[in-house]
Amino acid sequence: MSLFTIGRLCVKLAGRDAGKKCVVVEEIDNTFVLVDGNVRRKRVNTKHLEPLKETLDLKAKASHEQVKAAFETLGLSVWDKKSKQSTERPRRIRAIKEKVAEAKKEAKVKKEKKTEATSKETPTKGIEATVTKETETEEKPETEKPEETSENQEVTEQQ
Amino acid sequence: MPRGMYKSGRLRKIFVKTPGGESTIHYRQRKPSKAICADCKKQLAGVPRELPGKLTKIPKTARRPDRPYGGVLCSTCMRKKLLQQVREEK
Repeated sequence: MSLFTIGRLCVKLAGRDAGKKCVVVEEIDNTFVLVDGNVRRKRVNTKHLEPLKETLDLKAKASHEQVKAAFETLGLSVWDKKSKQSTERPRRIRAIKEKVAEAKKEAKVKKEKKTEATSKETPTKGIEATVTKETETEEKPETEKPEETSENQEVTEQQ
Repeated sequence: MPRGMYKSGRLRKIFVKTPGGESTIHYRQRKPSKAICADCKKQLAGVPRELPGKLTKIPKTARRPDRPYGGVLCSTCMRKKLLQQVREEK
């Protein structure tokens, strides 16, 4: 009678999974055993295993999911295959850059317009006549001027 | 005559033949000693003998065996240590 019957909890002593817990899933031979759990599912020489007290209720050739369920009842973690995810190569995306540049330009134009508007509103009435020039924004001050003047006239009349 | 710093034996010598037929001496840094098991003092397999600057250029998986105490203990000493730990827990 070997100790390594189906469902026996063991610790691996050799290889990269050494020091981790596993369960015997299948008896292959006198010397070899199929093992699963917190290790890679593998055929293992019993010389590389150290049996523990506990046994789990498992069928012969139990799947990895059944082993996982049994391990979680004991509060043990299970090794899972990490499938590699190909990460995208970092690339400069031109379209976005151009968009950003356009947005910046628009913002600049808006600012300029604002500044022009403010500069034309601020000057005093005496200088306004000299400031008016042949720019595109001439129409606005022209429309504003008569209103202002009419208001001023009204004010003067009231006085 | 070589300079004083080259006479101490701190650096290893490399004899290089020049095109004129003479041999000159180049000096290189010595390699570190081989890695040994911390328990039984055996030489470790799978640990390259390189200067630390060159080791950083090697991938980590090529620098030591991928197992607990890899690059510190040899495999037999590691097994003994694991067995001890497991049996103490029992």
